[in-house]
Amino acid sequence: MFAEIFIDPWVDMFAAPDFLMQVLWEGLVSGILYALIALGFVLIYRSSRIFNFAQGIMVVFAALTLVGLHAMGVPAWVSVALTLGVMFVLAVTIERVVLRPLVGQPDIILFMATIGITLFLIGLGETIFGGENKVMITGDLGIPTGDTVLEPFGGLLILQHLDITVVIVATLLVIALLAFLNYTQMGRAIRALGDDHQAALSVGISLQTIWVLVWFIAGIIALVTGIAWGARAGVSFALEVIAYKALPVLMLGGLESITGAIVGGLMIGVLEKLFEIYWGQPLLGGNTETWFAFVLALIVLLFRPQGLFGERIIERV
Amino acid sequence: MKRYRKMALTAALGAVIGTGAMAQELYTPNMAYRTGPFAATGIPLMNGQADYMTLLNERDGGIGGVKVDFEECETGYSTEKGVECYEKTKGKAIVTQPWSTGITLQVLPKANVDEIPILASGYGFSPMADGKVFQWAFNVPAGYWDGADMIIQYLEEQGSLDGKKIAFLHLDHPFGKEPLPVLEMHAEDKGFELVPIPVGLKEMQNQSAQWLQIRRERPDYVIMWGWGAMNAGAITEAVKTKFPMENMIGVWWAGHDADLKLVGEDGKGYKSISWSFPNPDAPVMQELREKVIDAGLSQTNPEEAEGVFYGRGLVMSMILAEAIKNAQENFDTAEISPEQLRWGLENIDLTEERIAELGMEGMVPPFSTSCANHTGHSGGWMLEWDGEKFVKASDLLKANVDGYRDLIDSSAADYAEANAPWPVNEDCAAE
Repeated sequence: MFAEIFIDPWVDMFAAPDFLMQVLWEGLVSGILYALIALGFVLIYRSSRIFNFAQGIMVVFAALTLVGLHAMGVPAWVSVALTLGVMFVLAVTIERVVLRPLVGQPDIILFMATIGITLFLIGLGETIFGGENKVMITGDLGIPTGDTVLEPFGGLLILQHLDITVVIVATLLVIALLAFLNYTQMGRAIRALGDDHQAALSVGISLQTIWVLVWFIAGIIALVTGIAWGARAGVSFALEVIAYKALPVLMLGGLESITGAIVGGLMIGVLEKLFEIYWGQPLLGGNTETWFAFVLALIVLLFRPQGLFGERIIERV
Repeated sequence: MKRYRKMALTAALGAVIGTGAMAQELYTPNMAYRTGPFAATGIPLMNGQADYMTLLNERDGGIGGVKVDFEECETGYSTEKGVECYEKTKGKAIVTQPWSTGITLQVLPKANVDEIPILASGYGFSPMADGKVFQWAFNVPAGYWDGADMIIQYLEEQGSLDGKKIAFLHLDHPFGKEPLPVLEMHAEDKGFELVPIPVGLKEMQNQSAQWLQIRRERPDYVIMWGWGAMNAGAITEAVKTKFPMENMIGVWWAGHDADLKLVGEDGKGYKSISWSFPNPDAPVMQELREKVIDAGLSQTNPEEAEGVFYGRGLVMSMILAEAIKNAQENFDTAEISPEQLRWGLENIDLTEERIAELGMEGMVPPFSTSCANHTGHSGGWMLEWDGEKFVKASDLLKANVDGYRDLIDSSAADYAEANAPWPVNEDCAAE
């Protein structure tokens, strides 16, 4: 048993380095997508202390809107623009109808409100678009779908062009987001709200505007995530489940840390894949990805309750 | 006081009229899942089921002159909601259609007490084939163990399985694990290595780890026991990892046109065992188009109506309708009880002639049931994706039920013992 746990996996890695590279690549692709979803949660949490349960269904809703508009004959990139418009209207509606009347309420009330938004969007989405699996308009958007086959160490490494595109687009989106948050007035306002609500309000930062903005950014992230996941396995309500993969990322990285979401997402993506392939499948019968990330997050929380990059809150009693 | 008396009278009258109205229908609730992660596969099936009953209501005024109330209770494929639906509908239902192996396992002991037949067409607990033990449960026309056996038979026809490796990619759920006993039995008998690869519910859309394992294991074949979003996830990963599609075979729930349309030409050669086949030229389809679809009484669309799953939904309702008709004729009453329907389900004799009479030629193999045989073991065809649609790739395959009869008997006996006291149909045992 000692050898199976501590020696064999490493031997396997060195024996087939091309396969190890494939595992790491697949982990990186998953990780960057986890990080994207987690970013949606973090942005909203930072600015409003709301844990947005609706992030998953926003992914589905955005992807369905895009595919649905295209099915009505709207050109692909016009559909993207219109979908962004729909996500903006959704952000404004959520702020006006759900969040504004609940300002000052306990966090749990706001969290419950996002569950309500989830249920509403499920119903609305199913009524408008139906529950059938739909094909993502990958080709019409000009997203490449072929692959590049490399032979490192005389082995085989398959890089899907779709995955390469996803990694590049997601990285650019994260960079753009970081630049927006750090170098623009609006971005700094979002961060100010996250750092100190009262102080931010006292210097004239508009809570309503910021809330609309972060929900809209979460909508943009949802659309990109929806396109990426939808291109892999179709667009259906099953996509909602993907969002739950972001929970351990948030636990690991810290709920209010953008860096934490990115690092946590990548860490979980790569580590869960390595564990599944080299330990989970040979020793535990596989399917360890359903729990590995949570156990990893739990171990981190034992030593750092605020997560790897979360803020340590010290309260006077 | 006068006003209250009037109200009471109105209520009583309403109750009488209501009861009368309820009595004039055959209540056959369906625990549908048109929402949630499995909706994509559920919708065409539910549409087919509902449309066939609508056709009977529109064309024949129901069955035996009594309208069918084919009410749906939405479960979202959740076992808890399924049990709630069962409890909600059992009062006036003559049958319960649980629509998931998980829900079937939960309602199995309940239906035994409530004495309501469970109709789980092509799913559920495979030992339900033993009608002596599971007197209220039916999984006509074929069970999962039949499906596993037929797939192994088909693979054996391609060449000996001795020394071969077969990966078993399955949903990590009671449904996905159901065929394991028969596959393990065959692995031992035929000398192939079986590699079970589970897919968690949260991993259905992202199966890269499972397909990395398949790449490492280099299996000769992949048998897939998938449902809902898992099928699309697996098929796209198979294409991505360049696994030869002709060596991948799915259960009948993994043979959905929409899943294969995601990969189109790249999915060419993928196979699925199936006890149903769509036949757009069948007379029943013509009637459905005229009286149900074009009349705006259906939720389906023309493309879906030509697919495998819609056709299977029609077959499922046809089987139920045949059982109802049997019971009505045998007991000489139009409004049958659940117990009478059980008799009807135990006396299905679907011959080639009867299938043709129903206008469903080529859509389902002939089969018959009995008191002891609650599955029918119809057999099935191997379907193959030709890049655009599924086509028949084999003659009718029949499961070799005698090969795992002992397994059925012992599993049924184990279940009865674990759930003792479990009433057994002694009349049936005498058969």
